Amino acid sequence: MRRLRFTLVALLTLVGSAPSLMAQRAPPRKLAASLERVYGPGVRADTVPIDPEVTLRIYRGDSLLGFAQVGNVKGKDQPITFLVATDTALRLKDIDILVYREPYGGEVAYEQWRRQFRGTRPGDSLEVDRQIRGISGATISVHAVTAAVRHSLENLAAWHKDGRL
Amino acid sequence: MPKLPRLSPAPLVLTLILSASAISAQQTPESTTLGGYGEVHYTNRSGPGTPGEVNVKRFVIFLAHSFNDRLAVRSELELEDTKIEGGAGGGEVALEQLFLDYRLSDAVSLRTGLVLVPIGIINETHEPPTFNGVARPNFDQEVLPTTWREIGVGAAGSVPGGHGLGYRLFLVSGLRAEGFSGTTGIRGGRQEGKEAGFANPSLTGRLEWTRPGLRLGSAFWYGGSAAQDSVLGLGAFAAPVLVLAADVRYDIGAFAFRGVAARISVADAEAINARFATDVGRRIEGGYLEGAVNLLRLLVPSTGQRLLAFVRHERYDLHAAVPTGTAANDSYARRVTTVGLSYKPLWNVVFKADYQLNRNRAGLGQDEALALGIGYQF
Repeated sequence: MRRLRFTLVALLTLVGSAPSLMAQRAPPRKLAASLERVYGPGVRADTVPIDPEVTLRIYRGDSLLGFAQVGNVKGKDQPITFLVATDTALRLKDIDILVYREPYGGEVAYEQWRRQFRGTRPGDSLEVDRQIRGISGATISVHAVTAAVRHSLENLAAWHKDGRL
Repeated sequence: MPKLPRLSPAPLVLTLILSASAISAQQTPESTTLGGYGEVHYTNRSGPGTPGEVNVKRFVIFLAHSFNDRLAVRSELELEDTKIEGGAGGGEVALEQLFLDYRLSDAVSLRTGLVLVPIGIINETHEPPTFNGVARPNFDQEVLPTTWREIGVGAAGSVPGGHGLGYRLFLVSGLRAEGFSGTTGIRGGRQEGKEAGFANPSLTGRLEWTRPGLRLGSAFWYGGSAAQDSVLGLGAFAAPVLVLAADVRYDIGAFAFRGVAARISVADAEAINARFATDVGRRIEGGYLEGAVNLLRLLVPSTGQRLLAFVRHERYDLHAAVPTGTAANDSYARRVTTVGLSYKPLWNVVFKADYQLNRNRAGLGQDEALALGIGYQF
């Protein structure tokens, strides 16, 4: 398992260092830890070359566990690097904030807020103050991440439909 | 589920080639961001000789530049009351913030420069769409002196472990007792980063706990205010001022509640009043509570627009305790009730209307005010 973990980190390091795939990098270890947290230990992530985001197929051994996407969305003045992770039916398993760079609004990384997204399917309504409770004092980040997750799920669904994912 | 083909070596090789060419270009590119907020007010106070007045209350430009993933400068430049003119009163051009942030981790960002004092709600978060009412709450002008900013160094971040705890802690330039008064409390004592004396370095900090829909905060300020005045004292903590405050913001369904309470202790108020012939209280305290309901959410559940009806009650006393030699002024014990509407077609644009009743224990100079306003942030 240790070897698998190393493989995952190494693979993601390679992925992460390709700027054509990703304007803002997430630390590979952070991404690997996040994928392990969502899908369990011993998973492998293969990149699917769909610009401009990093899109991943997640496997354990030969079996496909789901799809994930690393994206960036602008907060007040800096990009927020986030992960959207789904199962094979594109149902959202979890999101993660991989890098938060601004002085305010970092509460969007808290598990209590993130877990509201779990179970969302592509096409489901995903609005602040409806499905997602906001955080007073983090309004910009809350709106930015919610819209980005919705957009990301839509993209994954579209790419899955046209066979690219 | 159809079994997907295993990854062939080809993409891996491709990845390797891509990464080999890119290793030298890992540095995040620099980027500059422009943002801002603004508000235009119409105010009509009751009573003789007070016709309606319109004013561009604030026009603020936010300019930030990130040098890399960790180091950024952030600034806010503010123009108040449209313009400043030689010989004419009013109007102000001021830097509200100017600081460098160095992000060590999620737990610690080092910050230095002109920073916002992290006390109360409005001082740090005062973009017009974030609060109800055309003007900021009176409490946030007369008791907590928004926008309170000083030059200093410190750190901000979240306590590791994901418990929802965040903090800020700064050592900044202190207050000057010379500016204190009965009517405006400690407000006139702010130095705001203008050729500010550093005779009384002061400590200010905040601890807050956040859940979806809920934010609880507590904050303090402690520091001297003597500014090496020969009568008040030369020590760093001479004529100390202690501020303790707590705040809550809670949103549930169509409802939103917020409240702030603060107590300011000016231990040497007696000496300060004697030295500067003024009447600052030994203790200033009070707070406010506000409740709002999003009517559109109740009436038109399908819309994302918001129409908030709110009521806010402020109660504070600039003379909660007075020192020997100063007579308590009952007109400083104020009660302000504001009712109004905030219409937000988008979350960052607002049209406001409110009606305010100003009362005080002495019953002197009481009035009502009608206000209309627009505001935005981006």
